[in-house]
Amino acid sequence: MNPETQSREPRRAKKPLNGNHVPSEVIDSARSGASPSVAPASVHALMGWYETPGELYKACEALRDAGYQRFDAHTPFAVHGLEHAMGLRPSRLPWIVLGGGLFGLVGSVLLAWYTQGVDYPQNISGKEAFSYQAFIPVFFELTVLCAAFATFFGMWSMNKLPRFFHPVQTHPSFERATDDLFFISVEAADPKYDRVATKRLLASLGAHELCEVGS
Amino acid sequence: MSTLSYPHDDPAVRPELLPGKRDFRGITRQVSGIVEAKTPTGWKLAIAFTLSVLMILFGSLFRLVTKGTGVWGLNTTVGWAWDITGFVFWVGIGHAGTLISAILFLFRQKWRTSINRAAEAMTIFAVMSAAIYPVFHVGRVWFAYWLFPVPNQMQVWPNFKSPLFWDVCAVSTYATVSLLFWFVGLVPDLATLRDRADTKTKQIVYGILALGWRGSHRHWLNYEKAYQIFAGLSTPLVLSVHTIVSFDFAVSVVPGWHTTIFPPYFVAGAVFSGFAMVVTLMVMARRFLGLGNLITIHHLENMNKIILATGSIVGYAYGIEFFTAWYSGNPYEKFVFLNRAFGPYSWAYWTMVSCNVIFPQLFWFKKVRTSVPLMFVISILVNIGMWFERFVIVVTSLHRDYLPSSWTYFKPSLFDISTFIGTFGLFFTMLLLFVRYLPMVAIGEVKSILPAADPHAAHDHTEARHES
Amino acid sequence: MSTPINDASKARITSLDPARAKKLVGAATALLVASVALSIVAALVDRQRFAFSYLTGFVWLATIGLGALFFVLIQHLTRAGWSVIPRRQLEWLTGLLPASAALFLPVAFFAHDLYHHWMGPEAHGDPLIQKKAAYLNPTFFFVRAAVFLAVWSGLSLWFWRTSRKQDESGDKELTLRMAARSAPAIILLGLTLTFAAFDWLMSLDPHWYSTIYGVQVFSGSAVSSLAALALLTLALERKGILEGITTVEHRHDIGKLLFGFTVFWAYIGFSQYLIIWYGNIPEETVYFRERWEGPWKVVSLVLVFGHFVVPFIALISRTAKRSRFVLGAAAALILAMHYVDIYWLVMPTLGERGAVPSWVDVCGLIGPLSAGLLVIARRAAGGPLYPVRDPRLAESLQFQNT
Repeated sequence: MNPETQSREPRRAKKPLNGNHVPSEVIDSARSGASPSVAPASVHALMGWYETPGELYKACEALRDAGYQRFDAHTPFAVHGLEHAMGLRPSRLPWIVLGGGLFGLVGSVLLAWYTQGVDYPQNISGKEAFSYQAFIPVFFELTVLCAAFATFFGMWSMNKLPRFFHPVQTHPSFERATDDLFFISVEAADPKYDRVATKRLLASLGAHELCEVGS
Repeated sequence: MSTLSYPHDDPAVRPELLPGKRDFRGITRQVSGIVEAKTPTGWKLAIAFTLSVLMILFGSLFRLVTKGTGVWGLNTTVGWAWDITGFVFWVGIGHAGTLISAILFLFRQKWRTSINRAAEAMTIFAVMSAAIYPVFHVGRVWFAYWLFPVPNQMQVWPNFKSPLFWDVCAVSTYATVSLLFWFVGLVPDLATLRDRADTKTKQIVYGILALGWRGSHRHWLNYEKAYQIFAGLSTPLVLSVHTIVSFDFAVSVVPGWHTTIFPPYFVAGAVFSGFAMVVTLMVMARRFLGLGNLITIHHLENMNKIILATGSIVGYAYGIEFFTAWYSGNPYEKFVFLNRAFGPYSWAYWTMVSCNVIFPQLFWFKKVRTSVPLMFVISILVNIGMWFERFVIVVTSLHRDYLPSSWTYFKPSLFDISTFIGTFGLFFTMLLLFVRYLPMVAIGEVKSILPAADPHAAHDHTEARHES
Repeated sequence: MSTPINDASKARITSLDPARAKKLVGAATALLVASVALSIVAALVDRQRFAFSYLTGFVWLATIGLGALFFVLIQHLTRAGWSVIPRRQLEWLTGLLPASAALFLPVAFFAHDLYHHWMGPEAHGDPLIQKKAAYLNPTFFFVRAAVFLAVWSGLSLWFWRTSRKQDESGDKELTLRMAARSAPAIILLGLTLTFAAFDWLMSLDPHWYSTIYGVQVFSGSAVSSLAALALLTLALERKGILEGITTVEHRHDIGKLLFGFTVFWAYIGFSQYLIIWYGNIPEETVYFRERWEGPWKVVSLVLVFGHFVVPFIALISRTAKRSRFVLGAAAALILAMHYVDIYWLVMPTLGERGAVPSWVDVCGLIGPLSAGLLVIARRAAGGPLYPVRDPRLAESLQFQNT
């Protein structure tokens, strides 16, 4: 199936919302061989898309093997194993979670110690004021709660989200990155970046709608 | 004995989870379509109905707050009845959502992707319905924050040794973590809705909720890790919640409550009732939202198998409790159990046994497991049975205590009944809002289990094997 | 999707080298003979202590077999794919169950020493035991034991033989048949395990009762059988025998299950403890009081740390579960701690002196242990090291964690 020939879903008169949309710098892929006419004032990245996760995977491998560092894939779902093709290191999130969990554990023990043992000791069914057995459910719950907060906020902050706008969102077809297309973006800031050579590399692997997006 | 006459019986071949030719775009369209379509009349009628039931809840709670908890049918002997029954009933239902989103994820049960979003939503709404009870049972609801350890002018702290305080910690943690987990799962799909939005309002609302998600694989890497960690945290959490609910009873010395099997037995019962509710809801989703091709008969059958397994565990617990009551040689233990089965509440007891232990056993037959009308009926029976289970545990253990002069027969008041009915109004109103405004199937996750999602679909698997 | 199954037949080693196999069986047989002699000496010197030591060793072995049977059944029930290869090692371990049927004979022989509270004459003066006499009486006890052992041996042999038959024939029908029978088999297993735990362990103190007891013994069985599986897999890998068959991915999954069931064991143990501690009813708290006073407190603490805290911390990270060393060390620790766990259930019957380990305990363990080793060695020597013609073998070979 070729998404270009496939009938586009009836587009409901959608206008780009962000002002700095790059006027469609659509460069047809290797097929037409046309070269770009106008370049945006300040280029953020070269972008294009593939039809299948497999093609994207190969393109990422090619970029990785060519020594590119600052490139990214944008996909509608997590493509299994793509981090290997991109040469990414495993996420360091578990360490943040461990910290959150330890904070919750120590914090809950201190809370129980102060409120139950020191500030307001109560004699409940003859048990010691600080009865650790009876506090274990509380320790557990607060540990999990803090670990979960650490996971949630840790993940979003590692991803630098939420954010209002990112240049890659100006690619004319980018709304389909959350639907059925598999995008690649190579940042102009990458030392290996070369407008022509990078484009040729991606196009040779079947990229569509290659164009530069501004920052 | 089955034979190899059907191709899907071949153990070497895994049946396609979503049969037929499915593409990414089609899934996006189908699920987003439910949200993007014009509001159907059926939905309007349904929400009008559930809102009026919700009004019953508001009315009952208004009466409760203005008059006091005396409007419920409680008395000195039975000081806890429909309130705690309703609470445990709703919390239990929530457990299936977490089981599907967390435990089935850890066990790599990919079929969960079609139902996990709706089941997680159900968890959150069930916990909301459950929370009504403890919050309003405190009487002066405006002081409900005293349940938490916050410094206050009376210079007292809540009692950490109270199982009810454990409950406060467990249920609030559970609600929070479930909400975070659910929201994390929703973000990529909200981004899909944002990118398809056709009005400015939708674009702004979904845009804010989607947090600027752009599907970056550098993000997916952290995201998937977070998902895994949430699953890892939710698994012991969900066990702890119903364990702690069971401690509400089990750490007391009331015969019929104080028994060591309560924690695992309550957890199994919770999963049992929750899956029954998921089956009820998914059968309706297939019927009214046309999701039959995403939630297939295979999904329903798998859930029915879990109902059968957990129902059998519940049956095991009933049996062991009864046996041990006799084996203990303790006359009070023995009395409570005989009283349950043959006393004034025997009707409730046998309703419970037949709904929870007997009817689910019909799922041994594949014909029953795969028959939509039959499973719908059985799932509702299980829900009824599990409500009765909590009622039987709570009321039969209390109504005849050590002092025969205080023996009584509990009857619910009008407000007991109306409050409970009202919680269904809350639950279904929330669910209807959910299916109308949020993607009720995890779009991204379903796509990821299609054969086309595998980047190595075309070439050999062995290559990936060497990389690890 | 489907990689050809002949992937497995690529000149890979499928069974043990016959010379090595013979050596293994010979060593186990020699150990068994020696242990019989040792046991007789120990029984003559200290009959009572030996009875309890032997019961501990016997239950330790039988529960490992029961846990293994549970996992074999659950894998058939869930149509698991990843675990086809390690299922064979679990099947070896289920061989401990028919062996247990024979190993039960000394328990039967010493029954009056072990269960003298309710089998002996003092039962007549005890009204509480009189009430339970319909259940706790020698005849019914032996009948039940015979039923339990017959059910376990029957299940274990049927699933083992069927699996071996498939090695020969490659008949896919057998997979379906095992899946179909696994569901009722699990129910049978659950009930027999529960009542065996009541009979053989809980009735050591016939006054005390706990409804969770069966689940508690089950949790120990599950975790110990996984530990044994991890050790067997690692041992085969170490000798280079399963090279390229089991991978780090299988190890990782075994590690995950081991970690999960360690937590499950602690969860069940803690639930029982908290309910009894909090309720504070003397008839029940006596159980923990016996185990939390004097030298028994040391044993309890060893159990808390050795069976839960240390393996929990050791196995929590992904790297640890994938590491041969950490997984192996944790599995060995858990297997040892499973012995302490059973010891903690059985030996307090002897009072404080039970807490102090004695040479007799070694004699009680070595018999069941060597019999178990012999069974495993024979099964390992007698056939393929993994289900060579299982229809889902390819899936297990390709399995990868995400």
